[in-house]
Amino acid sequence: MNSKSSPSGPCPHRAKFTRRFLRALARINKDRPTSSSHHEIRKRSRKIKIAADASMAYAVGSGRAWSRVMLWKLRNRTRYRAWIWSRVIASTRKRIDKGSKQGGELSRTDQLRQLVPGGEAMDFCNLLDEAAHYIKCLTTQVQVMRNIADFYFT
Amino acid sequence: MEKEKLFMNTGSPPPLNYTASSSSPPTTWHSSTSPIELQVGELNVSTEQLPNCFLNLNWENSMDQSVPFESALSSIVSSPATSNAAVTATDSGVIRELIGRLGSICNSGEISPHSQPMGGSTATASYIGGNSSTNTSCYSTPLNSPPKLNLSMMDHQVTGNLPILGNSRPTHPSLAPFSTDPGFAERAARFSCFGSRSFNGLTGQFGLKEADFPYRSVPRVEKGKLSRVSSCQSLKAVESQMGSQENKETPLQDSIETEMRSAAASASASDKKFSRLKRSSTLDNAESANCREESSIFGQLLPGGDSAMKTSHDANAKKRKAAPRGKAKDNPSSPSRKDSKEEEDPDAKRSKPAEATSKENDASMAKVESNGGTENAGDGDQKQTKDNSKPPEPPKDYIHVRARRGQATDSHSLAERVRREKISERMKFLQDLVPGCNKVTGKAVMLDEIINYVQSLQRQVEFLSMKLATVNPRLEINMESLLSKEMLQPRGSLPHPIYPLDSSASAFPYGHQPLQGPLAQNGISNGAENSLDATFLRNLGLQLPPVDGFVEAASQLSSFWEDDLQSVVQMGFGQNQNQEEAFQPQSFHGSLPTAHMKVEL
Repeated sequence: MNSKSSPSGPCPHRAKFTRRFLRALARINKDRPTSSSHHEIRKRSRKIKIAADASMAYAVGSGRAWSRVMLWKLRNRTRYRAWIWSRVIASTRKRIDKGSKQGGELSRTDQLRQLVPGGEAMDFCNLLDEAAHYIKCLTTQVQVMRNIADFYFT
Repeated sequence: MEKEKLFMNTGSPPPLNYTASSSSPPTTWHSSTSPIELQVGELNVSTEQLPNCFLNLNWENSMDQSVPFESALSSIVSSPATSNAAVTATDSGVIRELIGRLGSICNSGEISPHSQPMGGSTATASYIGGNSSTNTSCYSTPLNSPPKLNLSMMDHQVTGNLPILGNSRPTHPSLAPFSTDPGFAERAARFSCFGSRSFNGLTGQFGLKEADFPYRSVPRVEKGKLSRVSSCQSLKAVESQMGSQENKETPLQDSIETEMRSAAASASASDKKFSRLKRSSTLDNAESANCREESSIFGQLLPGGDSAMKTSHDANAKKRKAAPRGKAKDNPSSPSRKDSKEEEDPDAKRSKPAEATSKENDASMAKVESNGGTENAGDGDQKQTKDNSKPPEPPKDYIHVRARRGQATDSHSLAERVRREKISERMKFLQDLVPGCNKVTGKAVMLDEIINYVQSLQRQVEFLSMKLATVNPRLEINMESLLSKEMLQPRGSLPHPIYPLDSSASAFPYGHQPLQGPLAQNGISNGAENSLDATFLRNLGLQLPPVDGFVEAASQLSSFWEDDLQSVVQMGFGQNQNQEEAFQPQSFHGSLPTAHMKVEL
């Protein structure tokens, strides 16, 4: 795992992410309609979210399992949306059947697997690893996005 | 663990060469059923501290049958602390008890004269082991014969031997060098002389059979949790003695010497061993089982290379003396090891500095030594050492793990331990990442925190994307300035540096101050927000999922309004969170459109 200077320190992918994200943001906002209905806003927010995740995944590159999974998901999102969704459901159901402590509720590990992209196919040790890196990148993403938002809103 | 606690209670119980007493379960340790075991164990250890705690134990434990024995033993043990005269006075009683014990143990045999300091102690130890209810050995029953009977019989010989003892005690040049523990030397001398003469007669009388010795030592070894190696060592010494019957005195002395050396060394290292004991888990059963194997192997290999054993003994002793329980010593101490790879394994294992246990080394070394040059033992050792370590030297791809003291050493548990250590290491890293997890201990709670944090982060991303979706495209012009700003400053989440607005001053209608203010607030509140989010979302959890976004918005926007932020904080940590949360979203919801309006204007 690329453990950078400190957990709370700047992520090395920050610059790349920012650049990509801003570009994507510009692209998204370029063709936005003048009227911003809630529906439009929601659609755009979804696009922005996807753009943010994609930028982060691209910034991280293929060095991480979760970024690879995310990139793959993004690339095949349009084509295999239904298939991906069914797969997720199947894996969740399988896990529930296998060993759910409570009735129908996922164990903590399974919850974490669902949160971290690509976490379903990892062993617990790697899951923790990926989760740590994912958290680091997520915090970076949130920071940058917040900076941008603050920049725009103030 | 219990044993460790036991030792803790008794103060600083040094490691026992003969683990008979130590190996006995703590219940027996504390109980008065088998105080002899304590004594025996204590006896073998030559430490100054030993008598103290031993004495305490002796006097504390009620002694059913072994009162005289205990007292005698205690006196013997305390001999280093006491004057010789005093010791001498009690020696007879002690010796009588010892002989009694030995005689009683004669069933198991081979209290051969040479092996007597060990043999006697081992016999007594094994006897005690037999006495202990927890003794699982099948030989417990024969050992359960009441000592008193033998005692009476022994008295005669004891008294007869006393003068010999008295004479021999001062004259034992071989024991002179062992000045580390003069008392021990004295005792050893006494025992050596005693054993050589009296035990011969005794054994003859009671028909001690050598064949039974290994078996007898087995139960003792079974209990030998603390100093498995020492027990094995002594075993080997005894067996070596037994193997070479012709020379009673010298092997005896050798064994005594080695034992004393090891005892002295162990005494010096007793503290470390003890600390290790504290750390180790209660896997001594496995170890004792291993030792049992070894002892059984030893039993079969009576004529095992005495020289090899002795050298290994010496090496072991030296190893004991080393402070870190010499992993380095392990290698030189196993010269006779036919599989040198095993020796190198300790080296490889040494590379892993994690709580290496000399115990394991000792065990491996004991195995090595016991095997001497024998193949059977070697196989057994190899099997065990292989379990302990990964394949030999070129440790390129192998993760070298050192089994902790008192832990199982089979490959599965080792791999499991490695995995567990990896997981704990990752959890520690995650603890640093997730704010507010420093006090949390335990995997489950940590996982909960991690899950909550990841969920909160993802929700923040969602919210921020929604926020950005409402951004006026007019501000796109500032993208480059924004980018430059981003590049300029490394922003941490909590420590919020002063926002360098110089470069973007022109782009902003607002001044620096107002921007800094809310931004500073934002930065400060970021961390709070994160924790707030965690608490928030945890409370909201499954109750108000649709409100999450608004809660996020609320938490985000609260930075702009200090009052709101405070209220949010209070709400996050308040009692009636449900109600407050129900209130807050609406209020924030109201503020959200205002923000929108503000932006779009």
